[in-house]
Amino acid sequence: MEGEATDFFAATFSIEEEDHTLANALRFFLNKNPHVAFCGYSMPHPSEELVNLRVQTTGKVTAMQAVKAACEDVSQVCGHMRYTLQEAVNKFQAEEAAARGKR
Amino acid sequence: MENNTTVLNDEFLAHRLGLIPLVSRNAVYWKRPFEWSGDNDIIETAFSLDVMCEQDGVMDVTSNDLVPLDPDAGVVPVNYHSATEKPIVICKMRRGQHLKLVARARKGIGKDHAKFIPVATAVFQYKPQITLSASAMADMTDDEKQAFVHSDPSKTFKFNPITRMVEVENEESYMYDEECIVKARELGRPDLVTIRQVQDHFVFRVEGTGVLEVKSIVRQAIEILHKKCVDLETLAREAVAIAKGQPLPERAPAAGADMGPGGHMDGGMGGGHDMGPGGHMGMGGPGDMGPGGHMGGMYGGPPGPYGGGPGMGMYR
Repeated sequence: MEGEATDFFAATFSIEEEDHTLANALRFFLNKNPHVAFCGYSMPHPSEELVNLRVQTTGKVTAMQAVKAACEDVSQVCGHMRYTLQEAVNKFQAEEAAARGKR
Repeated sequence: MENNTTVLNDEFLAHRLGLIPLVSRNAVYWKRPFEWSGDNDIIETAFSLDVMCEQDGVMDVTSNDLVPLDPDAGVVPVNYHSATEKPIVICKMRRGQHLKLVARARKGIGKDHAKFIPVATAVFQYKPQITLSASAMADMTDDEKQAFVHSDPSKTFKFNPITRMVEVENEESYMYDEECIVKARELGRPDLVTIRQVQDHFVFRVEGTGVLEVKSIVRQAIEILHKKCVDLETLAREAVAIAKGQPLPERAPAAGADMGPGGHMDGGMGGGHDMGPGGHMGMGGPGDMGPGGHMGGMYGGPPGPYGGGPGMGMYR
């Protein structure tokens, strides 16, 4: 019985100890996925750290796969941002040092 | 609080002390009070404050009077004994008044209490793309052009006296108040300026309070989001394995290293093994590794990262 649950094309994920920080990011990337028909999240009560993420797919991928793909997308965006930020900070600091050196 | 004969009462002082920003560069390595911590983890450091006023006239008790009881922890109030900046006034006393207390600094994040938020403001907006129509400008007088330039409160435009044209001075300072568009319409030239938001380019302004370096704040915020995703993926895989009755997949050493034993397996189990037709999958979300307060994004929700300044509690 449990094994089938992972093959559903529509699923609601109840994630504990998470809030809009992660859920909204996942929802955004899930929406970008062409195989996802519907995606939304809700927080049943703000005092309770629980998020329900609902995913319905077109049938080409399982809900689980869609969420995994969204997680990976968020990770990649984070990685890219971190790299670009670091480069920009280094560049700025180098320019500052050069400007200070000239003065 | 050992002795307080000042005009402010104990909890008032406690509140003020709690709001003092503390330099938190090492706070990444600390644990929050309710987080799982081992014997080697730092949870708090203490400060003592012992001031007696013996002079005539008013004496200020400032953040410089806080003495760290553990100088190696590297936690001091912001601008501690700074030559250039003024310290934070905690209270004022007159002759004969005495204040003596021990304060404990702990790590927290914005979600616990707003005093832990490491930024003063964090806002973002889409970068505007401003196009000025030269043909519309050709019909306008210089006064009208000046009036248009001055109508925008954020100095986005400037009037170039040599070419006698309106030019864009600083695109990023435009705040999407449509004052200049309204003015253009008033002057009878609604086609003078077109402003649209570039959907894939945004300007993110973060102002820190001195608790952490701003670039650390942004970097840690990105890492926290990344970690949440990685943890979620790990737990999803484990939940699937549990559901299928298979052995648990190998955990990558970095992921979930700080999780309490069994704390999150329970989350995975308890969350819902009612595999009803809706296909509910309970997943233990990753434990709060000092994660962000709300990435509220639009309305300037601050990216509360690790080490939002340790707040101070009073030890009575």
